Amino acid sequence: MKEGLLIILSLIALTSLCDTINQLFLKSAVDSLNFSPSFNIIKIFKFIARLLVKPRLWLGFVFSVISLCIWLVVLSKAELNFAFSADSMHYIFIALASRFVLKEKVTSLRWLGTGLIVAGIVLISLS
Amino acid sequence: MFKKKVTLKILLLLIASDILETSIQFFFKKSALAQQGFVVTDFSSAVVFLKAAFASPFLWAGLIAVAAVFIIWSGILSRIDLSVAVPIASFSYILVPLVSIIFLHEKITALRWMGIFFILGGVILVSLSSRERSSEGK
Repeated sequence: MKEGLLIILSLIALTSLCDTINQLFLKSAVDSLNFSPSFNIIKIFKFIARLLVKPRLWLGFVFSVISLCIWLVVLSKAELNFAFSADSMHYIFIALASRFVLKEKVTSLRWLGTGLIVAGIVLISLS
Repeated sequence: MFKKKVTLKILLLLIASDILETSIQFFFKKSALAQQGFVVTDFSSAVVFLKAAFASPFLWAGLIAVAAVFIIWSGILSRIDLSVAVPIASFSYILVPLVSIIFLHEKITALRWMGIFFILGGVILVSLSSRERSSEGK
């Protein structure tokens, strides 16, 4: 049982990692377009059209498909309530990636929230 | 540019996204349950499992819901700040366990509920920090 839990947690970590990589590619594709926020519908459509020809966007898409496949395997092994809650792990990866890959400033409030999520995942894994 | 006030329309959109998010997970779980008893142990058994999962209508219902959530969120985020939207949208962290109990007959212990509330609190703090950052920046 303990070993099974470890495998499930590792698989969830893997989907979260794929999700994070997808987000990094998306972020990089969006940033490369220098789009200033606008609610003009024509501008938004033009933005999306330019985004769709970015190879990085499709690279990200590949990772989200991989993530979905691993997620389905997780669901075949674990209870939904556990898997869904543990999937909040991606908040940890996103915080780390924002800090170390994108060099964004991660505030103390955000680290505190991320810490609470870690504690929550430990609690649900113990139960 | 972003408003903080939650109007009825935005609230309804957020509730819709909560319900859709929960149904996505329910549908995905259903598609995984379609081959009850089949255990994925290695890569080749995973391929067999995934082929069957993708043949399940539940999976495609889930994917349609993913697309719908994406469209709804584009609408939500063009109208309201992320730090306001995410805490309301995190209601799915409660809704998914409830659906698991009612429709999937899963059992949730008190300790697990405690963990779920820790996670919910953490997600809310993370989203509140996006407000802190945007007000710091400008």
